[in-house]
Amino acid sequence: MSLDAIVIGAGHNGLVAAARLGQAGRRVLVLEAEAAPGGLLGEAGGMRIAAMPTGLHPEVARGLALHRHGLRPGRPMATLALGGDAPLRIEGAAVTGVDAATAAAFADLHRRLARQASALAPMMLKVPPRLRDGGWGELMTLARLGLGVRMLGRAEMRELLRILLSNVWDLLNDEIGDGALAGALAMEATLGGAMGPRSPGTVLPLLYRLAGQPRVMPEGGAGAIVAALVRAVEAAGGQVRTGARVEALLAGDDRVEGVRLAGGEEIRAPLVFSNAHPKATLLDLLGVRHLDAEDVRRARRMATEGMVARLDLALAAPPRLPGGTLPGPGDRIIVAPAMGTLEAAFNAAKYKENPDRPALECHWDAGASRLAVSAQFVPCTLKGGWTAEARDRLVANVLSVLDAAMPGLAAEVGDVTLATPADIEARFGLPGGHWHHGEFRVDQMLMLRPFAGAAQYRMPVAGLYLCGAGAHPGGDVTGLPGWNAAGVALKDGRGR
Amino acid sequence: MRYDAIVVGAGHNGLTTACFLARAGLKVLVVEKNDYVGGAAVSRELTPGWTYSNCSYVCSLLRPEIIRALELPKHGLQVIPYESGATFNSKGEYFNYASDHDALRRELIRHDPRDADGYERYARAVMKQCRFIKPLLLRTAPDPTSFRPRDIAELLYIGRRFHGLGERDMAETVRFWTLSIAEFLDEHLRSDIVKAHLAGSGIIGTGLGPYSPGTAYVLLHHYMGEVDGSIGAWGFARGGMGAITKAMAASFRAAGGEIRTGSGLHRFLVRGGRVTGVALENGDEFHADTVVSGMDVRRTFVDHTEAADLPGDFLKAVRRYRFRGSSGKLNIALDAMPTFRAAPKGARFLRGDLHFLDDMAEIERAYDDWKEGRWSSSPYVDFLIPTQIDPTMAPPGKHYATVFVQYAPYELADGPWDDARREAFAQTVIGKIASHVPDFKDLIVHKEVRTPADIEREVGLTEGNIFQGELTFDQLLFNRPVPGYAQYRSPVRGLYMCGSSTHPGGGVMGAPGANAAREVLRDLRRKIDMGAAA
Repeated sequence: MSLDAIVIGAGHNGLVAAARLGQAGRRVLVLEAEAAPGGLLGEAGGMRIAAMPTGLHPEVARGLALHRHGLRPGRPMATLALGGDAPLRIEGAAVTGVDAATAAAFADLHRRLARQASALAPMMLKVPPRLRDGGWGELMTLARLGLGVRMLGRAEMRELLRILLSNVWDLLNDEIGDGALAGALAMEATLGGAMGPRSPGTVLPLLYRLAGQPRVMPEGGAGAIVAALVRAVEAAGGQVRTGARVEALLAGDDRVEGVRLAGGEEIRAPLVFSNAHPKATLLDLLGVRHLDAEDVRRARRMATEGMVARLDLALAAPPRLPGGTLPGPGDRIIVAPAMGTLEAAFNAAKYKENPDRPALECHWDAGASRLAVSAQFVPCTLKGGWTAEARDRLVANVLSVLDAAMPGLAAEVGDVTLATPADIEARFGLPGGHWHHGEFRVDQMLMLRPFAGAAQYRMPVAGLYLCGAGAHPGGDVTGLPGWNAAGVALKDGRGR
Repeated sequence: MRYDAIVVGAGHNGLTTACFLARAGLKVLVVEKNDYVGGAAVSRELTPGWTYSNCSYVCSLLRPEIIRALELPKHGLQVIPYESGATFNSKGEYFNYASDHDALRRELIRHDPRDADGYERYARAVMKQCRFIKPLLLRTAPDPTSFRPRDIAELLYIGRRFHGLGERDMAETVRFWTLSIAEFLDEHLRSDIVKAHLAGSGIIGTGLGPYSPGTAYVLLHHYMGEVDGSIGAWGFARGGMGAITKAMAASFRAAGGEIRTGSGLHRFLVRGGRVTGVALENGDEFHADTVVSGMDVRRTFVDHTEAADLPGDFLKAVRRYRFRGSSGKLNIALDAMPTFRAAPKGARFLRGDLHFLDDMAEIERAYDDWKEGRWSSSPYVDFLIPTQIDPTMAPPGKHYATVFVQYAPYELADGPWDDARREAFAQTVIGKIASHVPDFKDLIVHKEVRTPADIEREVGLTEGNIFQGELTFDQLLFNRPVPGYAQYRSPVRGLYMCGSSTHPGGGVMGAPGANAAREVLRDLRRKIDMGAAA
């Protein structure tokens, strides 16, 4: 059977790209190194890294008719912020557990940020224009973005331009004051990256999250997204092959020709989509001999240090919130009592040390009696290395923070599974263990993601496309990089 | 008494504005709260025989266009470039940042052979960014929300210049504006001591650490100056920094201007949304249709303008404007030239800026102390002994040392700045220097210690921020000082701003003052005379 396209990696973006290509009549094979599909969203090594995913972009869910493949969206997750006297409950723009003035200030801030984010949101579905003379189409994309921002009105446009490159520390101190609410929002703004709340540039990821879909725990848990995507690929005639690790890209004269698997099997196709990290795709799989020096330099210097460790805790009894209530299935628990907690944890991580009091995001899976915990900031490269002792110390620090926030919890803990950023790096081939394949900041977004000259999903050799979070618009579980990449390739194909 | 224009504050920006207005034929009065002119560019004798550059201490950023247009050399300004500088680390090594290209190359190779080429790439990248930004310094930032032809034309000008860089350098420019100085240096260089030496320029005066995004731009802010056409060079004003403002004052008086010192501003007089003059603390009132404030934006509008005369949104934005003082200063009279443990005898680099650092992380940890409301236990110091080059500042054989200290908070976590804490702060700094300069403590004849609170009190810089406000993107270009009011005008008609709170920001640059004068004269339908430079 001759293939039209190979997709490397059955992460959600790889599957989205495969399904869209399949719908357009292309014969697609998805190759996945792990035993099961899903990437960070899948069950690998006994845990699911993306345990609390954001929702797929509606355009993707609609375009692939995922409801027909069994995806039942649940309700948007509520956030419970611990650390104050009583837990705060945050749902969209509403928060309970704080005084009326703070609640009103938060609602107002949320409304303004969401509006500003909505002006930027249309960009997420667009192929970023090139910085060089890109012709009218590309200029129009930028002009439309500018117009969208201008349509916010003069005052809000000014406000957006002021805070765009600013930090959440100042923004939240100005608007709602520090505390558990600000801690939870700062967590939202910094999760997955390598910037503390005081770092300029942390408002941008917050806007990005507000522009995307709220976190939704679908019926059947995060795995349901993967299952639906696999069904969508197969329904479109595509095939997902697991346990097939791609070792190298086959490339001839400036054109990709297929892939070679570990074990030596070669599979040929005129198009290859890589859901792997841009560095891995270009420097390891393709090889620097196919690239010019400038592209190599730009790929190498991508900022990809991730700072989240994941822990799964088996609990003998469900966790109890202060006051004695149990978290619901759609509840996300954040333990970041103040922005200072996050900054202090970041202080340690920036010197490559374990934080004493990491900030935590947790989700209780009652069915599996497991508490999924994301802990930040934890460095990928630890001073002295990730020895058994260092791992134990991190676990102990996480448990002590959890036990302080939910008294009695530590006593119920059974098995602990830990994935440090270094583990995530090794297992998924993600340099730095970065969840989003690269820091989300201005010099790595839009036409600069993953780097200038390679930001339109097309990689420097013909036929090779990047479809992972390293491409525009970036990380979280939106499916947009895969969706856009497939769209670009289909358009390229029509033009040929 | 009636004037065409009144300028509040005889700092270098106020005087620059005043000079340009007077040279355009206006009758101009400058009022100043201190008994002396100069603001933060002063030379003062606090102990007999020694002249201190009390606040700012080195000169580079002062725009050559302004030096020429105001004929400052004719009025006594002489800038002497100093060569090189050095960083000493705790292992007893030093890095000599030589101004001579070949000497620097040899020095870089001595620390890491690969850094010689890395430095060339680094210097090229910085120079490219300097060239891009420099023409913007003496231009008014456009309002991106405006559809006025002037703003659109200015946006197009910047857009075209940006586009003219080409795809590769456009991307590099965006990167440069968002990177941390540590990341930028790590990309090019390997040796810790070399990177530590260069990183200082990314954090001086700023409440950010070298690992904070945005600090590469702060570095640029310290690199875009020149001395006698030598780009990036720094020098001493002969006789101290006061020589700059003395020359400006002389130039101003020569143009017919009048300066009144010794009484601070009580308030701006406003009637019907229009400024009518100023009332001083001593009761004097002076009237003019044009009043220009050289004070920072918070002092100008929160402290000295009636809230009723200002729109609420504007006042809110001004209150939110961030100062965050982070720097202290020691001025020290020395009995003799001190001995540096690690420096070879007679090393010429001792004439430049000296630092005591192991690596960039040491600066970052100093920043962490500041975040917690403490002065740095191991501070970053910019230490110079100008009397090696300019003997006018101390008696024969004696020396003057200027010690800039990063970081010191405006508000301490454990209580107010009092004499005991000020002295403890000074001893922390002196102790750090003494560990590299063994005879330093014994040579001290007199010292002046200035915390951010002292700088605020004496100079009027809110929270002691040396730039009249942080140089972060939310307070740069069209956002400086506040969005919608970045063109030197204010909500009060006739009341203008010319201090470092406005574009392009702090440093003894004079650009805000010149830009403000241009805007004032534009509103009066006159043209600024930039001399042959324009």
